[in-house]
Amino acid sequence: MYKKYKKHEITGEEIKAIHRIVDDASIPFDPANTSYQEYLAWLAEGNEPLPPDEPEQSEEPNA
Amino acid sequence: MAGQLKVGGNIIASHSGVEGAGEVTLQNVTLGDSAVPSHSMNFRNKIINGNFDIWQRGDGPFTTGYSADRWVDQGSGATLSMSKGTFTNGQTDVPGNPKYYMQWSITTGNDNSRITQRIEGVQTFSGETVTLSYWARHVSGTLPSGGIKANLRQEFGTGGTPSSTVYVNSDNISLTSNWQKFTTTFNVPSISGKTIGTDGNDYLGVSLLWQLGNDTTAYSIDIAQVQLEEGTVPTPFEHRPYGTELALCQRYFYIFDSTGLDDLLYFRSPYATGTPPNTTASVAHFHPVTMRASPDIIATVNGGTINRKTSSNKVVVFQMASTNINGAYAVTSYTANAEL
Repeated sequence: MYKKYKKHEITGEEIKAIHRIVDDASIPFDPANTSYQEYLAWLAEGNEPLPPDEPEQSEEPNA
Repeated sequence: MAGQLKVGGNIIASHSGVEGAGEVTLQNVTLGDSAVPSHSMNFRNKIINGNFDIWQRGDGPFTTGYSADRWVDQGSGATLSMSKGTFTNGQTDVPGNPKYYMQWSITTGNDNSRITQRIEGVQTFSGETVTLSYWARHVSGTLPSGGIKANLRQEFGTGGTPSSTVYVNSDNISLTSNWQKFTTTFNVPSISGKTIGTDGNDYLGVSLLWQLGNDTTAYSIDIAQVQLEEGTVPTPFEHRPYGTELALCQRYFYIFDSTGLDDLLYFRSPYATGTPPNTTASVAHFHPVTMRASPDIIATVNGGTINRKTSSNKVVVFQMASTNINGAYAVTSYTANAEL
């Protein structure tokens, strides 16, 4: 099972990696990475990663 | 014999014209340009960690996946363990004073059982003759009745429409309880006309101790000094400096450990307090060598929660909320994995 990362808090862009829950590994979106190939195969089977966690509430004011 | 000796053909070593009568000592020999070897004599062994000196993941026993650096089990259907064996100081059964060997113990046999090294690039040795050599002994149990052999496997990777896998097998080997050197010469098929995947994960696999048949008996084999080189001659095992061999391994896997550090590599925020968005703190670590691909990262911290870990083949960046950094949080260990 996999889970998406939250979007980048500054750029707002998708993170180019996926969280593999079973071992807490971060899998980069690099085609040469064999774990990424396993993730693509998992997607091809019709699976979907979990959505990212809700954004944390900052204890510091942002403005 | 004084003067200049020019030889236009093969040299047959002899003494006083009688072959095999004694030793021939060559002195002050100058090799002409045409005497250059047809292939490199440096780094001739394409196997990394063939001497089993590097065990970054620990000494085992391992029951699946990687064990000694670069060596992975492909024991689907079998149960097994792999662990680090240590030679007795001064032993002479295996030459060259190796320190360690691989202990390969099958608990339940299966015809998929084998140990493999994946050599980056399916072009490796394409269309060439190579020699695989290694030392092995049967330690205990009953060897599979179908035999054990080695093989080479050309894997063309993923991406696009890569060609199918090509195999080349050795003959069966006959193990005894004594260390023996085994040598097999392979004609590696040419990849001419083949299509290599576009994802950069193609390789030449070298598999040893491949069980034939579905015997489920238990047995143990030790293996040492694995070498794969161009040509038909098994040259003496190539001993590379430890640091060189470790760096070769770290292209595919390494472990960072903060043990021994009095201060840690702490997360820091790039933003001044109160500066929006002020919600991010990060720390970057550079890999010891450029890795084969962007690696998987598994990390531990001394507190707080890592939001994400992103990596390239040169660096990894860990990120957590900046609100945590007053806790002096740091990454205390991690693994980076870019194996094939």
